[in-house]
Amino acid sequence: MRGSHRLALFFLFPSLIFVGVFTLYPIFESFRLSFYRTILTLPWLGQKMVGWENYADLWTDPVAVQSLKTTIIFVAVTIPLELLLGLGMALVMNEVFRGRGLLRAVVLVPWAIPTVVSSQMWRFIFNDRYGLFNVVLFGADTARYTAPLAEPGPALMAIMAAEVWKTTPFAGLIILAGLQTIPDELYESASIDGAGAWQKFRHVTLPLIRPALLLALLFRSIDALRVFDLVFVMTQGGPADATNVLQFYGYKKTFAEGMIGYGSAVAVGVFFISLALSLTYLRLLRESRLEGATR
Amino acid sequence: MADFEKRNPGVRIIQEVGPHSSTQFHDLVSQKLKNRDTEMDVFVMDVVWPAEFASAGWALPLDRYFPEAEQSKFLAAPLLANRYRGRVYGVPLFVDAGLLYYRKDLLAKYNFAPPRSWPELVDQAKTILAGEMDPLLSGFSAQFKQYEGLICNMMEYILGNGGALWDDARLVSALQQPPAVEAVRFVRDKIIGEIAARGVLAYQEPESLALFTQGKAVFHRNWPYAWRSANDPERSKIAGKVAMATLPSFPGHRGVATLGGWQMGVSRFSKKPDLAWRFVDFMTSPEMQKRIALATGRPPTRMALYDDPELLQKIPQLPSLLENFKRAVPRPTTPVYVPLSNIMQRYFSSALALPDTNIAERAALAARDMDRVLDLLRGAPAP
Amino acid sequence: MKRSAALWIFSFGIGLYCLLPFLWFVLTSFKNETELTAIPPTLIPSFHLSFYQSALEKHGLLKYIANSAIVAGAATLITIVIGSLAAYAMARMQLAWTKFYMLALLAISMFPQIAIAGPVWTILNRIDWLNTYQGLVSAYIALTLPLATWILTTFFREVPPEIEEAALIDGCSRLQALRRVVLPLAMPGMLTAALLVFIYDWNEFFFALIIMTSPNVQTLPVGIALFPGEYTMPWGDIAAASTMATLPLIALTLLFQRGIVRGLSAGAVKG
Repeated sequence: MRGSHRLALFFLFPSLIFVGVFTLYPIFESFRLSFYRTILTLPWLGQKMVGWENYADLWTDPVAVQSLKTTIIFVAVTIPLELLLGLGMALVMNEVFRGRGLLRAVVLVPWAIPTVVSSQMWRFIFNDRYGLFNVVLFGADTARYTAPLAEPGPALMAIMAAEVWKTTPFAGLIILAGLQTIPDELYESASIDGAGAWQKFRHVTLPLIRPALLLALLFRSIDALRVFDLVFVMTQGGPADATNVLQFYGYKKTFAEGMIGYGSAVAVGVFFISLALSLTYLRLLRESRLEGATR
Repeated sequence: MADFEKRNPGVRIIQEVGPHSSTQFHDLVSQKLKNRDTEMDVFVMDVVWPAEFASAGWALPLDRYFPEAEQSKFLAAPLLANRYRGRVYGVPLFVDAGLLYYRKDLLAKYNFAPPRSWPELVDQAKTILAGEMDPLLSGFSAQFKQYEGLICNMMEYILGNGGALWDDARLVSALQQPPAVEAVRFVRDKIIGEIAARGVLAYQEPESLALFTQGKAVFHRNWPYAWRSANDPERSKIAGKVAMATLPSFPGHRGVATLGGWQMGVSRFSKKPDLAWRFVDFMTSPEMQKRIALATGRPPTRMALYDDPELLQKIPQLPSLLENFKRAVPRPTTPVYVPLSNIMQRYFSSALALPDTNIAERAALAARDMDRVLDLLRGAPAP
Repeated sequence: MKRSAALWIFSFGIGLYCLLPFLWFVLTSFKNETELTAIPPTLIPSFHLSFYQSALEKHGLLKYIANSAIVAGAATLITIVIGSLAAYAMARMQLAWTKFYMLALLAISMFPQIAIAGPVWTILNRIDWLNTYQGLVSAYIALTLPLATWILTTFFREVPPEIEEAALIDGCSRLQALRRVVLPLAMPGMLTAALLVFIYDWNEFFFALIIMTSPNVQTLPVGIALFPGEYTMPWGDIAAASTMATLPLIALTLLFQRGIVRGLSAGAVKG
């Protein structure tokens, strides 16, 4: 097709403008700003070029390091839970039975709820006086009511619970899509070979949904790395910084304290971690696709 | 506000209420000011913000509306907090200083006079708890959540032990000094460890007050506003059984109350500064201050009103409150207060919440971070 | 049938897990003040609408909903138009760098917001687009374009090129072919992408928080997150507002659930 090159560019032009101006440029700008020291409430300091100083500080900043650990814990705990529960959901939804449509609709509800609504909802559930959590655990025995959001460990667990609840359906749907591409014949031939349900699962289902699992892993990990809404509404990073995830720390530094240079360094750090993770997953994905194709 | 609208026809006041956490409220207001929001004309500032807002160029200098002669009619300490580099940026609306509330019935039962030192308070609480044998009763209720209020509380212990938060003159942190470290350790081991419920680590003012008014705490640290709620028979189970005192200290030092309070400021991006000032002037006028005081029990910021017979009748403890205000200590004013506060909040919260932390170590780390921030102020241009 | 029973039990369990928390919140919104603060909490409310009244009148909920509708609607429309153009180009023109472009799009959609937020704010500040609809809409378009383009490309690829070739042979220009032939066939895919983008824009919080600070233009998520509490948390009002904010979304989701499931898994299976 002649002239197709030019036409293609013409069609792509608006996209490139928006993405270029509002996504790519900010990344480079963040990068640039991280080499300066800029503090909004001290305008007479001006913008001083400090090279790698912000990054050196980040490396030795115990809060940043702790924040990284908290974020990693968050990702490492929520993702496997979501995949497991999502797999369970998908397996049930894959079966043909009456009410399957209704189940699918119901499963989408947590996903449809806005994150801030979900966060307020869970904050209320964990309330130490009126919350569902305490009612379910202790009934009318109000003396034993606890305040999960008041203690560092439980607060982090509460945030993770809220996250898993909201996003498991998403993982479930992606896995469901993978399940549905498995042809029935494979199961039938496995049955003929004398395989039981568990063996069918292990040798037919699991390998073939590996791409879907990896994709769910990919999307969910990237999203979990950038969790913000939950923390902002439920705990504001506390108690004792227990829920101070990276994106929240960056927000505090940049928008609350006005330390734009340092905040940019945090942002760039998070960006590179995301990038590294994405690239790793994408490679794993491609490898598994190749494997699946050659099978 | 309806009054103001009546007297100034054509003007409508739109009130926006923000989150009740001072920290969150700060982030909200500063974000609007950063966005050069022209919708917000007047805002209230916590006592530690004027320097920051002034330095960043967000608050309008009010000198031409608010001359020195008028300024001297207000309480000195809050007014000082509104000044930055020779100009004034806010008008004190409410004044606050930490107070100790206690159950006079329980103390009388055990023949205790109000404690003059923190160790004495802990001992009294322990005795009362042992004697009452009520599993729901706790010894102390205060605000130890990771937010600005935590600083207010902790400052009272640290300064009551002869320590300081930081040295404003030499621009170095003072948290790693022994008096400060000891004070923090005391709070963790004695107060939270022995007489207060763990829940206080998540409390701001409303929750801590609720615990007290429900009759579940012997001692309570809060601002003056709590007096009314505690004595309101409709909302409090301990009405009539409450007394106030100045906060205790550590042996050998004077008791310290943190200065709190809210000021009214005008946004530099307001399109109607004159009108905005009229509103500020109105709200802080002697007449309005008296009305607010009579209606809510909040002490006024104009000194003359402390001699007003009507107020004295409604709020008999006004003279002792005045004494407390005159001795209240403000947090040092500085444009970098927010980063410093965040560092301190972090340090205090983790020192208090985790029982086995090495407090001296953490204090040293916090001090190092604070020094870094304070260093930024060296070489500030002359006013 | 044992299998059927087991399935029903699991389904019920899943249903409960998914619905109970939200149901609790909805029930709370129908309580009155004393039932709300009862300790232990009452389970079944008597049906009061006081919280709804409060949420609407005191907190101006309708304004937030209107703002969200404007921003999300505009952003979705523009995103789908621009994205479709790009997707069509990607699907039709088999150019060497399309694969790379697709991967790049995926990588870009994974940027953490914090890495972009500061400079985006600065840009909007400089052109005075803070606290304006167009400012937030622009940010949203940039945020959703990558994923929208990805999904749309997948759908456009499904339209058989032969139909288009036939139209071209019949004398249509490429744009006419696009309009008359391809669009109708790709419409379901476009609707799916539009739905996903709309839901994302409606729920977006971070950028709305930092760009829209004036209540006149604030969107629903910011309104709900910052629900005012001068001395106490108005849980009843929050529950009412949340219910009102979410039910339209749930309705939308249920109506188009097939499409949504397809759209979400489009990338999974084919991409």
